[in-house]
Amino acid sequence: MTAPLHATLKRLWIVSAVLLVFFVLTMLAGLCAGSSDTGVRRVISVLVGGEAADPMLATIIWRIRLPRVLLAAMVGAALSMGGLVFQALLRNPLAEPYILGISGGAAIGAIIGILMGFARFPGVGLMAFVGSMATLALLLLMTSGRSVLKKDSLLLSGVMVNAFCSALIMFLVSITQDARLHNIIFWLMGDMGMTDLRQAGFLALILAPCFVLFFWLSNAMNLLTMGSETALAIGINVKAVSLVLLTATSLMISAAVSHSGLIGFVGLVMPHLLRLVLGPDHRVLVPASILGGGGYMVLCDLLARTLPRQGEMPAGVVTALIGAPLFIYLLKRTKS
Amino acid sequence: MTGKAQQRIGRRFFVILMVLGGALALILAPDSARGVRSVTDFLGRRVVIPDEPRRVVALAPSITEIVYALEQESRLAGVTRFSDYPAAATRLPKVGSYVHLDLERIVALRPDLCIAVKDGNPKVVIDRLMQLNIPVFAVNPTNLETVIQAVEHIGRLLNTEQKAALIAADMRARIEHVRQQVAEVERRPRVFFQIGLAPIVSVGSATFIHELIETAGGENVARGDVPYPRFSREQVIGLAPDVIIITSMARSAIFERVKAEWARWKHMPAARNNRIIVQESNLFDRPSPRLVQGLELLVKLIHPQLFGGSP
Repeated sequence: MTAPLHATLKRLWIVSAVLLVFFVLTMLAGLCAGSSDTGVRRVISVLVGGEAADPMLATIIWRIRLPRVLLAAMVGAALSMGGLVFQALLRNPLAEPYILGISGGAAIGAIIGILMGFARFPGVGLMAFVGSMATLALLLLMTSGRSVLKKDSLLLSGVMVNAFCSALIMFLVSITQDARLHNIIFWLMGDMGMTDLRQAGFLALILAPCFVLFFWLSNAMNLLTMGSETALAIGINVKAVSLVLLTATSLMISAAVSHSGLIGFVGLVMPHLLRLVLGPDHRVLVPASILGGGGYMVLCDLLARTLPRQGEMPAGVVTALIGAPLFIYLLKRTKS
Repeated sequence: MTGKAQQRIGRRFFVILMVLGGALALILAPDSARGVRSVTDFLGRRVVIPDEPRRVVALAPSITEIVYALEQESRLAGVTRFSDYPAAATRLPKVGSYVHLDLERIVALRPDLCIAVKDGNPKVVIDRLMQLNIPVFAVNPTNLETVIQAVEHIGRLLNTEQKAALIAADMRARIEHVRQQVAEVERRPRVFFQIGLAPIVSVGSATFIHELIETAGGENVARGDVPYPRFSREQVIGLAPDVIIITSMARSAIFERVKAEWARWKHMPAARNNRIIVQESNLFDRPSPRLVQGLELLVKLIHPQLFGGSP
């Protein structure tokens, strides 16, 4: 933060370029792998040579794999950004939309939306937003006025909100007896296989302004991490900035959740890894989280659909298998 | 004589005219219109399908069974994971399970027609396939009559109406035979048909298993508006079924354990009279021609006295 602006800018460009390469490589890997056995060479011939080389494979790549890879990338970017914002705002390195129950709240809203027969966009998405805002408000209400225990009480409250949300989800699933049940369960497990480009486009329309906003407020986030008194002293309207950040985050998370179901721990893994390498400057961390989180999610989805010999497993399984042990490790480290 | 000869010549002339006309129509027809027809499926959608579908993907095990029953398996390009009847079907390429279809594998098989079931295949998959220019015809078998109609419809799609009519007639005759068999029985045994072990799930009035039970002269104790109602153990015991039929996906010790569990409750007639039966589920839950076999089996299970057994 004390570094001169041009140095920060230079770092920003280098980091973004490196992560962009990583991101593009994961996207290419995502386009190359799939359930039908198509060799990498044939995929490349389509990517280079166009549709004429192999019309069937072109359809598979551009209209089945591409929407899925794009969706995974956007969901990963959103979840990872969500983690970064929560960690800065709540000044807690373990804050993450899934662990805090924000994703769960969005999921409840989305399920109610599905049960009421709304379309995925905008009905279900809107219900998810209402759900995530409600859980966020509940969480902040529960933890307000207990600054001494804040770090632990926030996490504990989050875990409880999350447990409550899981119970509500189970309740909603168990009272559903018809064909919608399958829809809900597959969606909950994080099924991205049926996405089309239109859906990916809708998600992009919601996420892009949020990303711009976060980048714009990244310096404010730097100041917020130093504590609200310091931030106030420097002249940040802490309340307004926090409110804008929280609302935008929960909008972003609910949009991601209503498309991909519950996927946890992405917001923990990526920001931590990036902070470890890049340091605490949010002006660099915001674009890094978007590109890194996107690439990470594409990789997790890739593992989810290629590891099982038959069928697929939910992407949320992969992210949890990686993220949960990391969470425990981080928890132990912050304690000692 | 001359009249008959004239008639014959007339008929030949007519045939030649038809053939020429047909050939002319084919030559004159624009490329796009050649070899395709427009049909309405059970979702009420107009679907343009080829006149001669050559690469058909059956999106449910029941569809696979119907295509095999129609002896049109040479047209099959792919089936779903649990398509295990007839055994030859297991060797065909798989496109995921019928609720969790693998879009990419379907496209990779280059199908010119997919046949789906309305209840079961997610609507979003049907929509996605149509977006990708793969015609999907959805059937909606909900009871014995509509299963027969599905056979007839698929017969029409695959240009084998005659075979389909034969199968339909056979199914109708066998159903009628069962109706006559049970018309005379004085008492309709109370049947609890268990399709789910944990939770205990049975079948409501809107299912074809319900229709099979009632047609086979039984009384479905789980009838009602909920298609697949859940039960607790004490509810089932309270219903005092005369027969419990547990369907299983595979031969497994779990089902025998469930059977032994029910058998403990001796004040339940089914337990007292040793009428708890484990049966393979495929004959009952697949809307295919074999459903009639399931019906005939049910009559034997519900009314053994009609076949010389003790009730």
